[in-house]
Amino acid sequence: MKRKLIAAIGAAAVLTGVAACGGSSDSKNKSDSAGPADFKGKTLNVWLMSGSNPPGWTKDITAAFQQKYPGAKLKITVQQWDGIQQKLTTALSESTPPDVIEVGNTQTPYYAATGGLKDLTSVKSAIGGDDWVPALNGSAVYNGKQFAAPWYFASRVVVYNKKIWSAAGITTPPKTQDELFSDLDKIKSKGTKDAFYLPGQDWYGFDGFLLDAGADLVKKQGDKYVGNLDTPQAAQAIDLYKRLNSYGTAPKDKDEATPQQSDVFAKGDVGAFLGLGWEASGAITKNPALKDQVGFFPFPGKTAAKPAAVFVGGSNLAITQGSKNPELAQDFLTLAMSDQFEGELAKEGGVVPNKASLDSQLAGNEFGTASSAAAANGGTTPLIPAWGNVENAPNPITTLFMTGVLQGQSPSDAAKKADAEIDKRLSQQ
Amino acid sequence: MAAQYRGTPTRAPDQQSAVAAPTAGAPVAVGTAPAPGRPRASRGSALAGRTTPYLLILPALVATAVLLGYPLVRNVIISFQTLNAFQLIQHTTQWTGFGNYKEQLTSAEFWHTTERSIFFTLANVALIMVGGTLIGLLLNRLGKRMRLTLSIGLVLAWAMPYVAATTVYQWLFDTRYGVVNWGLDKLGWHSMAGYNWLGSQFSTFAVITLMIVWQSLPFVALNFYAGLTTVSAEIFEAARMDGAGAWRTFSSVLFPMLRPFFLSTTFLEIIWVFKAFTQVYALNAGGPAGLTETLPVYAFVEGVGNQHYGTGAAISVLTILILLALMSYYFRIILKQEDEL
Amino acid sequence: MRRSLFGRTWPNVVALVLFVFFVFPVYWMVTTAFKPDLDIISTTPVFIPFHGTMGHFDKAVHAAGFWTLVRNSFTVTICSVVLSLLVAMAAAFAVARMRFRGRKAFILIVMMAQMAPWEVMTISVYMIVRDQDMLNSLVPLTLFYMMMVLPFTIWTLRGFIAAVPKELEESALIDGCTRLQAFWRIVLPLLAPGLMATSLFGFITAWNEFPLVLILNKESAQTLPLWLTQFQTNFGDDWGATMAASSLFTVPVVVVFLFLQRRAVGGLTAGAVKG
Repeated sequence: MKRKLIAAIGAAAVLTGVAACGGSSDSKNKSDSAGPADFKGKTLNVWLMSGSNPPGWTKDITAAFQQKYPGAKLKITVQQWDGIQQKLTTALSESTPPDVIEVGNTQTPYYAATGGLKDLTSVKSAIGGDDWVPALNGSAVYNGKQFAAPWYFASRVVVYNKKIWSAAGITTPPKTQDELFSDLDKIKSKGTKDAFYLPGQDWYGFDGFLLDAGADLVKKQGDKYVGNLDTPQAAQAIDLYKRLNSYGTAPKDKDEATPQQSDVFAKGDVGAFLGLGWEASGAITKNPALKDQVGFFPFPGKTAAKPAAVFVGGSNLAITQGSKNPELAQDFLTLAMSDQFEGELAKEGGVVPNKASLDSQLAGNEFGTASSAAAANGGTTPLIPAWGNVENAPNPITTLFMTGVLQGQSPSDAAKKADAEIDKRLSQQ
Repeated sequence: MAAQYRGTPTRAPDQQSAVAAPTAGAPVAVGTAPAPGRPRASRGSALAGRTTPYLLILPALVATAVLLGYPLVRNVIISFQTLNAFQLIQHTTQWTGFGNYKEQLTSAEFWHTTERSIFFTLANVALIMVGGTLIGLLLNRLGKRMRLTLSIGLVLAWAMPYVAATTVYQWLFDTRYGVVNWGLDKLGWHSMAGYNWLGSQFSTFAVITLMIVWQSLPFVALNFYAGLTTVSAEIFEAARMDGAGAWRTFSSVLFPMLRPFFLSTTFLEIIWVFKAFTQVYALNAGGPAGLTETLPVYAFVEGVGNQHYGTGAAISVLTILILLALMSYYFRIILKQEDEL
Repeated sequence: MRRSLFGRTWPNVVALVLFVFFVFPVYWMVTTAFKPDLDIISTTPVFIPFHGTMGHFDKAVHAAGFWTLVRNSFTVTICSVVLSLLVAMAAAFAVARMRFRGRKAFILIVMMAQMAPWEVMTISVYMIVRDQDMLNSLVPLTLFYMMMVLPFTIWTLRGFIAAVPKELEESALIDGCTRLQAFWRIVLPLLAPGLMATSLFGFITAWNEFPLVLILNKESAQTLPLWLTQFQTNFGDDWGATMAASSLFTVPVVVVFLFLQRRAVGGLTAGAVKG
C-alpha cells in the first residue's frame, strides 16, 4: 500500500518536472523582426557602471530617447565595478553584446586594443566631439583613433558628517593635513569609532596620495612600463594612507565597495570618508536624516597653498563593435553627449563634464565644487592597453602592496612583491 | 523483503554495491543493497536481447560525450592557444604549442598552489573521515531520542547550500560583530576581539576547513551509522568474547567488513574537497593575496579573472591530471571489485 | 554487562555538544534574519530574538527580480534532476542487471565523469554555449546541470536496482509481462524511494551551482546562488537582509531533504534495518 503511494508520488514528480521543462525554454525570445526604419520592438542595451547614472538623468534621457524612437526601448543595466573586466571581455565576444557600454578611463585603452569597441573617428563631430576638453579625451583615443566618447570625470574628496564634526567643536574644514589630523583626533576623543573610514584597498585614493608625493604607480623604462612602488614617495604615500586608516575600523583587506562605504556612512556614526558625489547622495537616500549634514572638502595638501593632488577618475561611453543597433547606439551617444544631458549629469551627479562650457553647471553642487577644485591638480594611470591587466583581480597594488603594508610589512618588501607582479602583467598582452 | 536483507552475510565481496549505496544521500541505503542477485549469467543472457544494454546506456553515453567529452576536448585545445581578451573578442586562434604548460610548470606559484591543494585536500578528508566515523560510532551507541536529535542536527548542516553556508560563516567570523570573536573574547582570549579571520592565510584556511568539515561530516557519519546497523549484534558479541577491545573490534572486525564503504566515501570526499570551488572562492576569493587559492580557484582567477583563458585551460588540464593521479589507486581497487562481480 | 553511570552519560554529553556544533550556524542564520538591526550589531550578541522583525525578509523578497530568480532556480533544478533520473535509470539498469561487452569501460567512464572538474572548465563550456548562441538561457544550464549529476545518479541507482530481488522481476516475466512492463510494474515501484534519495544529491548540486551560471547568464536567466554571492553589493553590510536571503535560499533544500529522507527511510527499509 505504502509502496504504491510512493510510486505514485514519484511518478507525479516526474511528470510535473517534465511539464515544467517544456515551459522553460522560451526565456530568450526576441522579436528582432523589425525593419531598419521601424524601431518597434528594438531594444537598445546600455551598460552603465554603479554610481554613474543619477535617477533624474536616467529618467529624462530614457524619456527623450523613447520620444525620438517611438516603440524602441532603452534598457539600462547597472554593472558593478568589481569583476567588470571579466564580464565585459566575454560580453564583447558574444554575438549580441550590449550596444553601448560605459568603460572606465583607465580601462579604455585595453578594450580599444581588443577591437571590441567601434571606431568613432568619423562620427566624432556628429556626436558633439569638437568641444571636448583635449586632456579629458585622452583615454578615449587609441592609436590616433577615437574609440569612445569622454563622458564625465570625478575625483575623490573628503565627505564628512557635519553633525559629528561640529560636536567635536570644529567649524571650518581643515586646510592642511596637520589640521586634518588634529581635527580627527578631536573627533576620535569624542568617542567616534570611525573618525575617518578608509578601507585598505581604495587604490584610487592611494594613487592621489602618491601623485601628491610626486610619483606615479608605474614608470617608463626604455619603451616599456614597470612598477614603481619601491620608492620613497610610495612609502610616504602609504604611510599617510595607513595613518588615515587607523582613524577608523575600516577593514584593511577590502575595497571601498565591500561593503559600500556609502552604506557605512549612512549609519550616521562615521566622521568622514574619501568618496564621490554619488556615494554621498546614496548615503542620504538610505538615511534621509543625513540630508543637511553632509559636507565636502578637497583632501588638504601639506600646506594650505593648494589641496593635495588626486586621481582623476572618469568614464567613457563606447559603442560595441558587435552592436546590432549601431544607429540607435550612435544616437544615444549623441543624446548623452548633448549639452542638455551632459549638463544635467554634471548638475545632478556633481561630476566634471567633458566640455569647459558646461562647468558652470557644477555651481551649487557642493561635491562638484570641491571635486573640480581638487581635479585641477590631478593625474591618472598610463593610457596603455596593458594597464587593464593590472586592474584585474587580485590587483597587485591593493592586495600585495596596500594591504601588505597596512598589515605590517615594510613598504619596501611589499613594494617589491607588487612591482614584480605589476611588471609581469604590464608585459602581457 | 526484510528477511532477504537481514539474512545476507556482510562479507566484503558481497558488499559490492555498498560502494554505490552509501553515496545515496539516504544513509539507510547501505543496509538496503548488500547483495546483487546471486543467480545470474544463466537466465540473464536469455532474457536480454544483445542490443538492449547498449540501447539503455546510449542516452547516458551521448550526454556524456556531448556535454562533458566535448567541453573537455575543447578545454585541451584551448590550453594550446594564446587566448586573451583580444583573441576571444576577435574570435581568432593563435597557437602557442606547449607555451602555457611550460609557463605553469616553471612557475613557483603553480607548484605552491598544487602543494597547497593537496595538503588542503588531505587534511580535510582526514578530518572528515575520522570525525565522521567517530560520530557514526557515537550514533550507534546513543539512545533513540538522543540519536534522533543528533541526526536532525546533522541533516540540517548537510542540507545547507554552499553559498548560504559561506555567507553564514562570513557572518559568524565577522571581524566586528561576529559571534565567534565575541565568544573567544568572553572565554578570556581577549586578543581575539576584533580579529580579522580573513586577513591571514592560516586563519582563512581554518575557516574554510571548518566550513567544509562541518558540511561533510554528516554525510560520512550518517552513512557509516547506517552501515553499522547492518552488522549484527552477534558479531560484536563474538568479538567481545574473544577479548577484543574497542580498537581491536574496529580495526579487525568493523573496518574489514565496511571496507567498501570507507573506500567509496574516501573516494568521493577526495573529489569533493579537491574540487571545492564555491566555498573557497565565495568566502575570500582565494585571498589574502592569493594565498588560499587552491587549483580550481587558481585556474579560475588566471583564466576567467585575468582573461588569460589559454593559461586557465592549461591549469585546468594539469588539475585534472593531478586529480587522476590522486585517484588512480581507487580506480584500480574499484575496477578490481567489478571484476569479481 | 551494564555500563557505569559515566559510560552512559558521556555519549549523551558529546552528542549534545555535537548537536550544538552542527545546528548553531543554521540557528544563527535564521535568528539573525529575524533580529532588528540594533540587535545584530550589538556588542553583546543577542542569542534569542525576542523582538523579532520581518523587515529583513521583506527586503530580501522585494529585491529586484527575486521571484524570477526563484522561478529560474526551481525550473533548472527540477528539470535537470528529472532528466538525469530518466537517463540514469536506463543506464543503471543495464549495468546492474546485464552483462555485456564494454560494461567495465562504461563503469570507468561513469567514474571518470564523476570526477569532472566543472569548476575549471567554465571557459570551454562558455565558448561552446556562446558559439551555439544559447547564452542567457535556462536550457544549456539545465543540460549541463543534468550532466553534472548524471554520473552520481547512475552510480547510486545501480545500487538500488541491484537491491531489488531479481526473482520478483522474473516471476512477472513468467506471468507474461514484457520486460518493460516488468520494470514498470515491479522494479519501478520498488525503486521509487531510491529515486527520491538519489534526487536529493542532484537537487543540492543543481540548486547550489554557481561558477557556470556566473559566466553563462550575465544578462538574464540568472539563479539564486549568483544573487546570493553578490550579497555585499546587494545589501551592503546589511547582515540581517543577507541572512534572510540565505535562509530563504536554504529552506527549499531543507524541505526536500526532510521530505525525501523520510520517504526513503519509510519506503525501502521498513523492517530491513533495525533501529
